[in-house]
Amino acid sequence: MSSTGPLRLVKPDREPTPDDAPAAAERTQLVRAAQRGDVPAFAALVDAYYARCLRFALHMLGSRADAEDAVQDTFVRVHRALPSYVEREAFEPWLFRILANRCRTAGLRERRRAAVLEFGEVPEHASDPRPDEAVAWREEIARALATLPAEQREAFLMRHVEDLSYEDMATATGAGISALKMRVKRACESLRRRLQEGDDARRA
Amino acid sequence: MHDERDETDETIERIAAALRPLPEVAPSRKALVLVAVAADRARARGAGESGPRAWRLAVAGTAAAAVVAAAALWLGGRRSPAAADRSVPAVALDSGGSLARAGGARLAGRAGDALAPQVVELVFRAPEAHRVSVVGDFNGWNAGADAMTRDSASGLWSGTITVRPGRHVYAFVIDDSVWARDPRTPEAADADFGRPGSVLLVGHP
Repeated sequence: MSSTGPLRLVKPDREPTPDDAPAAAERTQLVRAAQRGDVPAFAALVDAYYARCLRFALHMLGSRADAEDAVQDTFVRVHRALPSYVEREAFEPWLFRILANRCRTAGLRERRRAAVLEFGEVPEHASDPRPDEAVAWREEIARALATLPAEQREAFLMRHVEDLSYEDMATATGAGISALKMRVKRACESLRRRLQEGDDARRA
Repeated sequence: MHDERDETDETIERIAAALRPLPEVAPSRKALVLVAVAADRARARGAGESGPRAWRLAVAGTAAAAVVAAAALWLGGRRSPAAADRSVPAVALDSGGSLARAGGARLAGRAGDALAPQVVELVFRAPEAHRVSVVGDFNGWNAGADAMTRDSASGLWSGTITVRPGRHVYAFVIDDSVWARDPRTPEAADADFGRPGSVLLVGHP
């Protein structure tokens, strides 16, 4: 694809799902084209990965606005770094390394501000009816997730939500595989304990 | 080869299942990414290099058009000079619907040089309002500085502001009492005074 070729539509008719992440061969072609300065190819990468990146950032940061800023910043840095990207490194862990770095930076900034946990839709009035059970469950998980140390939260999300292998997680985080396994294990233990305490408190 | 297995149980599976749904993404957010990348690229290239003389206002009726319009802004720098000359110098992205339906921003003037202030027209729908004004970082959030004019037929309020290239945050003040952000442009994460604001990106070559 030439950078001077005709502009073509890059937006699909529907929002992407995880299954829409480009297959390896297609992704390689997109990345190579984007490295050559092909705008539609880069736009296609943004299209394919934006929602996944936003999901990760939302769970890391707990704030929609901060997450969107982190994702936008991630893609700016991805574009900047594309010339130095080498194919022997898988694209997704490379992308998640940049994203995780932006989330860590945003997380540090966030801790300097007043900590207000945002998750889901905030009712207009305090007297609004209680959210349904599924929403309440997600909010409880979000609160439990927010209590984890950032390294554990990051490892848990990469492993259990983003389905990265431990090798890819090592690329994305720079940590060793044993350390990552320990972070995931501790995160699981903490989440189980927190959610069990919530169950016990409701029954009491 | 490492053992990839984790000790999971029903609780962890339920947690993961609750966290996996992808968030809704406003189409304009993806377009904004491309605009941010284009702006970053323009900064990296420096003012001395040839590039788009100005940025185009992209108020798009569809998400696809928004993304393509943003890409077109970028391509403007690497395509023919004639294409670049057709660009205009402000960017405001609309996630859906036409400008006239609710609100938005479009460029009313043309670029003179990279840092020259640009005239941007703002439109807001408030048929029941008696007074509407624009407040933002460009006028010190002064509700008396930039009053808008009502079109009696459509109920739309319009007005122009003159701003330097860059990122600006703005909102509308209705009847001196109600603060509203522009629903058709992206919400600012760093709302001044803790009130909601919208983001206006005014480009430069």
